[in-house]
Amino acid sequence: MDRGFLSNIELRTTSGRLYYALAMVILLAVAVVALFPFFFAFTSGLKGSTEIFAAGLDLFPASPRWENYTNAWTMFDMSRLFGNSILITGVSVILRLTISAAAAFSLSKLKPFGGRIITLGFLLTLMIPSIAYFVPLYTTIARLPIINVSLLNTYWGLWLPYSVDAFSIFVLKTFFDRIPQDLLDSARVDGATALQMLRHIILPLSRSILIVLCVLAFVGLWKDFLLPYLVITDPSRQPITVRLFYIADDYSVNLQMAASFVALLPPLLIAILLQRYMKVGLTLGGVKG
Amino acid sequence: MNSPYSLDTPIEQLPTKPKHFDLSRLRLALPRQITAYLFLLPALIVFALFAWLPIVKSVEMSFQHVTLGGESTWVGLENFSLMLKDPAFAIAWRNAFEFTSWSLMLGFIVPIVIALLVAEIRAGKGFFRVVYFLPTVVPAAVAVIIWRFIYDPDAGVLNEILIALGLPRQFWLQDVGLAKPSLVAVMTWAGFGTTALIYLASLQDVSQDLYEAAELDGATPLRRIWHISLPHLYPVMSLMFVLQIIAVVQIFTEPFLLTSGGPGRETLTPAMNIYNRAFIRLDMGYASAWSVTMIVVLAVFSIIYQLVNRRLSADR
Repeated sequence: MDRGFLSNIELRTTSGRLYYALAMVILLAVAVVALFPFFFAFTSGLKGSTEIFAAGLDLFPASPRWENYTNAWTMFDMSRLFGNSILITGVSVILRLTISAAAAFSLSKLKPFGGRIITLGFLLTLMIPSIAYFVPLYTTIARLPIINVSLLNTYWGLWLPYSVDAFSIFVLKTFFDRIPQDLLDSARVDGATALQMLRHIILPLSRSILIVLCVLAFVGLWKDFLLPYLVITDPSRQPITVRLFYIADDYSVNLQMAASFVALLPPLLIAILLQRYMKVGLTLGGVKG
Repeated sequence: MNSPYSLDTPIEQLPTKPKHFDLSRLRLALPRQITAYLFLLPALIVFALFAWLPIVKSVEMSFQHVTLGGESTWVGLENFSLMLKDPAFAIAWRNAFEFTSWSLMLGFIVPIVIALLVAEIRAGKGFFRVVYFLPTVVPAAVAVIIWRFIYDPDAGVLNEILIALGLPRQFWLQDVGLAKPSLVAVMTWAGFGTTALIYLASLQDVSQDLYEAAELDGATPLRRIWHISLPHLYPVMSLMFVLQIIAVVQIFTEPFLLTSGGPGRETLTPAMNIYNRAFIRLDMGYASAWSVTMIVVLAVFSIIYQLVNRRLSADR
């Protein structure tokens, strides 16, 4: 952008410079507040177990104890916890996108009878917050109807509910609608099956939006607490968010902080490295409906 | 080439609605319909099991007494009349209202101001965008471990700052008056960046010519904000306003993990009470009456949201 409500010339005047400096100070102050908990967890994680309770405003440790981080890693069994979280979110993201892309493709290009009603049924779930039907969702996971199988303490109990996402279906359908029908018709004439059209025409054309939805799903599911908290009660299978909170109290505060900071790294790295996609995802989310 | 099924005819022009029942057309459409439904099937199954069925059951269970074994008996409106008599009902919904008010006070204006400021920055926009966004990706369960130490009455850094400034220490999460705003501060920290970025994206759409023209007409920068930037943001603002209410009414994880509803029942929210009733006291029918109340309350805001959103997309 070349200019905002201030022009570049105005910015070079005294009051313009003053405004610019003030804006920078405010923005930097907010940035400090936003980053403070990360910084605080990091430096507290380097302190000794009694040093952390010492009076006075000491943000930095007297001598950094890097071994806290290796200790926290082994004491909290973090490689296993990370593995669990990656398995839970990874499979969920793949399932969610596969199921949503197939459904969106069908609704957009194959025109099933009753497609409008089905779309409405999907959209309905966006309007009802999940906390409002959380109890029967849990009883369904605890005992699936008809086949009477319990998914408690299995990852299917998370993978399947997590694959329900009307937002992905809706975004993908809108995107697929813009892909010209001619492309598919010529493929059909050449004898392509519907699956081949999806794999070789639709999905390659939608790569960017698929990545955006992947990143959004990953970050959202990695954060989730209540469902894994109730569904996975076996300590060795719990994701990092749940397990860390459970056992944090058993350890000294400096180790808690070190473990928390390590636990934050994967989503932070994703947000920083894939910020381009997250930005698109945000504006998608802002005006969905 | 006059046949309606010739290869040259674009698919859209093929007859789609037969005037009378036509067996040959059905035979032609059936394989395509089967394919279409095969692609839809996985979604239909997971939605049926994990969304539609639970939604229906939530309403059904609110009129039932459900035992641990899963047997249910119809009890009519008993759950609802019990709910209205329950002192927790007024407390939880008053708390939800106060949480919402605090959240709007602390968190509604801030993202707008930040977006306006970032939009004027000529260098380093990308930096601020990422930094403000980072708290958004933090799992609440982990954030809570860090924040409860920040709020710690004895060793917490917040009280250390107060003491360094010569002020008395506060019991942030244990004080009746402070518990709510302290929780809302955590939520605001976690959420303001997303909202600010949405405002920022909207601000980028303002035509520079408008600012140019206003400047030529002698409008001061403040008046340019007031008459150009803010009116441009109004639709998004009303959207964010409703979305924020919808989000805060459902608030669960932060009070559940940080205060467990205390001090007293000061931070008990409707969602927490649903959890307590269903999973601690195992009274699923009664909990469902609360859930239905929540659906109704949020449905009102959802409808408002839809109306606002429709007007917004119509304007474009």
